[in-house]
Amino acid sequence: MEIKWQFDRDQARQPDQVLEAVEKGNISAATAVGFFRQIERPVGAHSEAEETARKRLQDIMQELDALIGLGTVKKLISEIRAFVEIQKRRVSEQLATEPLVLHMIFKGNPGTGKTTVARIVGKLFKEMGVLPKGHLIEVERADLVGEYIGHTAQKTREQIKKAMGGIFFIDEAYSLARGGEKDFGKEAIDVLVKAMEDHKDQLILILAGYRDEMDWFLRTNPGLRSRFPIIIEFPDYSLDELLEIADCMLRIRQYRLNQEARQELRAILARKTNGGHEHNGNARLVRNIIERAIRRQAVRLVIQNEITREELIVIVDADIEEAPAGA
Amino acid sequence: MPREALVIGKTGVGKTAFVLGLAEFLNMKKLEISFLYPDGHKRAEEYRLDHAKRELIGSKRHRTRCLQSIAIELPAGKGKKILTITDSPGLVDGIHEREEVRRAMAQTLGAVRRADVILHVVDVGDFIGDRERGTEEVDKQIAEYASLKGGYVILANKMDLPGAAGGLQTVMDEYIGRQVIPVSVLQKKGFVEVKAFVWRYV
Repeated sequence: MEIKWQFDRDQARQPDQVLEAVEKGNISAATAVGFFRQIERPVGAHSEAEETARKRLQDIMQELDALIGLGTVKKLISEIRAFVEIQKRRVSEQLATEPLVLHMIFKGNPGTGKTTVARIVGKLFKEMGVLPKGHLIEVERADLVGEYIGHTAQKTREQIKKAMGGIFFIDEAYSLARGGEKDFGKEAIDVLVKAMEDHKDQLILILAGYRDEMDWFLRTNPGLRSRFPIIIEFPDYSLDELLEIADCMLRIRQYRLNQEARQELRAILARKTNGGHEHNGNARLVRNIIERAIRRQAVRLVIQNEITREELIVIVDADIEEAPAGA
Repeated sequence: MPREALVIGKTGVGKTAFVLGLAEFLNMKKLEISFLYPDGHKRAEEYRLDHAKRELIGSKRHRTRCLQSIAIELPAGKGKKILTITDSPGLVDGIHEREEVRRAMAQTLGAVRRADVILHVVDVGDFIGDRERGTEEVDKQIAEYASLKGGYVILANKMDLPGAAGGLQTVMDEYIGRQVIPVSVLQKKGFVEVKAFVWRYV
C-alpha cells in the first residue's frame, strides 16, 4: 500500500528527494515520474504545439470510437492511420515508402454512417498532414453532370475546386455510369480521374453507394477499380444498435423514452429491419422517428395548462409513430 | 560531452537484447560495457559480443541490475562523437518490497532525467488479445514525461510473435501521437529506423 507522500513546493526543487522517496519505498516509480513532470516545464513552444496536435488527434479518434456499431470500419480506419503514420516516419528517415493512395469506396445502404465517417476521415487526414484542409464536399450525379457537351466537365471541375484540399464524397457514384453512350456521366468520370492524377496530394475521393450497385460500377469500370485501393463496407445497423442510436440522439437533446415508448420504438424498428426491405433507411429512419416524436410530444404538451419539467423530458409511446412512407 | 540514449521499460520486454542487437547491427564485435551501480561505484569490462549476449540476456541469474552502458564512436567532422547507449533495470508498478530493486529503479529514474534520447521499449506481446496487460501506469507516466523532452520514441519489440501486427496497432492506439518503431531483435528488424532516430539527436 502506498503511503501518501505530500508533494511539497520546496521539495519540488529537489528531484533527488523524489528519487530518495523511491529508494525508501515511499512512492512508486510511476508517481516519481509524475513528480518529475510537475517539476519540469515543457521544453519550448515546440512541445506544446506537439501536445495540442496529439490531443486533437486523440479527440478525433474518440469521435470515431463514439459512433455506434461500425466495428470493422473503425478497425480499418485505425489500420489506415497506422499505415500513413509509418509511411510518414519512413519518409523522414529517407527510407523507401509506399505511395499514399487513399481514395476509397464506401459500400452500404443509406443511413449506415458513410457520410459521417467520411467527415471524420477528412479531419483525421488533416491532423496527420495528409490533406491540407480536410473538409468534406458531398455531391451526387446532378451536381456533376450537365445538359450539353462541355457542361459536365465545367460543373465537375467547379465541384472539384471546392473540394480541393479535402475529401470529395460522391454519393450514388454508380449513377455516373448508368447512362448509354450519349450519357454525360462518363465525361464526369474522366474529369475526376484526371483530377485524381493531377492533384494527388490535395484531394481524396470517396465514392459511395449501395453495395450491389457499387460492385457493378467497379466491375464495369476496371480502370477505376485499381485507383480505389480502400474498400469499406457499412453494414446495416442491428436492432440493438438502432435503439442505442435513438437513445444517443435523445440524450443529446435532453429527452428520454419511457418504458412503453421504448417498447413501441423497438417494435417499429423490428418490423422495419425484419421486413426484408433492404433500403429501410437505417439511422436516418431512427432520426426521422425521433424528430417526429419530439414534435408530437410538443403538440401533446402545448395544450396542457401546466407542464412539469419531467414531462418536458419524457417521450411517451403515443409520441412514437412510424414515419409515413416517403417522410 | 557524450550524448546519452537511455533504454527503459518494464522488466522482460527485451531492453538488454535490444541494446546488444543494436551493437551487432553496428558491427561492433567488441564492446566496452560500463556498469554503474546504485551505490555509485563503476566497473568497466570488455566483452566480445557473443559473450555479452550469453552473459547478460534473459535468465533470472543475470537480470539487469544496474545501468549498463556501451559507448559508440561516431565520426563527426574532424573529430568524433561518443554516443552512450544505456541499458537499465526494468521498472515495475507499485512499490517493490526489496530495497535493492527500489534503489535500482531510482537509479534508472535519475538516468531518465539526464538522458538526451529515451528509447521506451514495450513488449508487443502484452498488447495482443487481452489489452489489459498492455500499458502499465509507469509506462504511461514515462510516455507523458519523456515526450516533453523531444528525443523520445517507443520501440514495439518482439514483432516476430504471432499476432504482432495486431499488437502493434494496439500499441499505437494506446500511445496515440507518439512515435512508435516496430522492432524484432530475433529477426533483426527495426534497427535501421532506430539508428536513424537516435543519430538525429547526437
